Amino acid sequence: MPLLAVQGLKAGYGVGPDILADVSIDVEAGRTYCVIGPNGAGKSTLLKTVAGIVKPRDGVITFDGASVGGLRPDQILRAGICFVPQDRTLFPQMSVRENLVMGGYLIRDRHRLNERLELVFEMFPRLAERSAQMAQTMSGGEQQLLALGRALMIEPKLMMIDEPSLGLAPRVTSQIFDVIRSLSRDLGITVLLIEQNVKKGLEVSDWAFVLDLGTKRFEGPAGEILDDPRIRDLYLGKLADRGGS
Amino acid sequence: MAEIQVLILGLLLGGVYALMASGLTLLFGVMRVVNLAHAAFIVLAAFCSFYLWEFAGIDPLISIVLIMPSFFVLGMVLYRVLFPRIEGTPRFTEMTVLMTFGLAFVAEGLMARFFGGIFRSASPPYARDAIILGDYYVPTGQLLASTASLVLLLGLWAFLKFTRTGYGVRATMQNRDAAQIVGVDVRRVSTISFGIGMAMAGAAGALVSFLFPFFPARHWQWIAILLSLIVLGGMGSLKGAVVGALLLAVVSSFVSHTLGPVWAPITFFGALFLILLVRPQGLFGKKARV
Repeated sequence: MPLLAVQGLKAGYGVGPDILADVSIDVEAGRTYCVIGPNGAGKSTLLKTVAGIVKPRDGVITFDGASVGGLRPDQILRAGICFVPQDRTLFPQMSVRENLVMGGYLIRDRHRLNERLELVFEMFPRLAERSAQMAQTMSGGEQQLLALGRALMIEPKLMMIDEPSLGLAPRVTSQIFDVIRSLSRDLGITVLLIEQNVKKGLEVSDWAFVLDLGTKRFEGPAGEILDDPRIRDLYLGKLADRGGS
Repeated sequence: MAEIQVLILGLLLGGVYALMASGLTLLFGVMRVVNLAHAAFIVLAAFCSFYLWEFAGIDPLISIVLIMPSFFVLGMVLYRVLFPRIEGTPRFTEMTVLMTFGLAFVAEGLMARFFGGIFRSASPPYARDAIILGDYYVPTGQLLASTASLVLLLGLWAFLKFTRTGYGVRATMQNRDAAQIVGVDVRRVSTISFGIGMAMAGAAGALVSFLFPFFPARHWQWIAILLSLIVLGGMGSLKGAVVGALLLAVVSSFVSHTLGPVWAPITFFGALFLILLVRPQGLFGKKARV
């Protein structure tokens, strides 16, 4: 049984049109998945809907054997799905440490909270060095590290990460991808990733879903998907059609 | 030194203004709600306190203990009844201005219908007393009211700083999306915050009942003052509301002393214009995020 199963998912914002028209994906435990597709394909909306931030209009979301579609974000987080959004959304006027403590908001046991905090600091010595620094004064790469560290506070089973490389220098991007790779390799966390830098994203992934116009077009092993002729038509081809040079 | 006397009176007044404004700034900070009905509920609480004093002999300071929990519940109910239908709309804050403007009229109309439109004031014995300190006098009622305000504001601060729900409230004030992502139930936090905002209005009303004469329509004057001082402090900042309240109360006391009482209200609107020109985010406010 897959860890996360999405079936016939339909979602959109406010009274607007469906951004996700009909998406079905299966995510197996312990692997890393990359969602790729052109802008406006519905990649971010898919993650936000699974996280409970956008309410599904139709379809079924099952996680770890239980239905989680339509639950509140805090209930979904409690089930073990955490979400690292595109703009990282930290608490700007809280210190690194306070941000991490907020990441463990659902942990009521103080002892356990400190344990997790130490573990995250051990994983990211950079954050430990800067534990008293205000989040808003940190560099983009450090903020991304903090966002990842904050998500790890609750010991998630599935981590959904939306464009971790956005706005980062190539060298910093590589560091972030090393961290993402170690999530699944060292911690056994299942990862669902969106990445504009398709090559980079596929490098760290086992499997890829290709989304366009709110539906999944196809999927396949991450190592082979770039060679798929359909990618050229749908993704690279479309980019050219849309006026790219 | 008449100046010191003016300063004493200004600071005492500022303490009460700070309490009156605390709920208003909290609601804006947590939920982006501009509650124009805030002062109307202060007047409602003042009427409650007045009648408790007149008919049951309950001291207005004691009545806080009854009024705060009732207003807390009233706030939570109002929030759950009125706000879900406009939540998530793109112009949420503007919608709250319109809705609470209407709510203020409804509250005012109901008060006028049931309590009448004449001036009221509770008159516990300390309301007309004063403590003489050498050349200066400290009105006992204002001293008690400011002390009560200080205690309540400290209580609010401690709640925000040290409790788990308080953490959730502060996190929601800083970044609502991020709060949601780490598992803060922002709906619950918003409901509780609305209750707390209303409870603070309730406590302020109990104090107002013996400090100022009031009648149902008095709230328009107060909401204008409260808005100007939280804009000065930075909308959504509790610290800003306290500093703004003390500052403007003292300045208006001096204006009243030198130019005459009719000029005192000008202080608030003068400060409002000035701060919007010079530092629109207020003293402790965040710059609007793009």
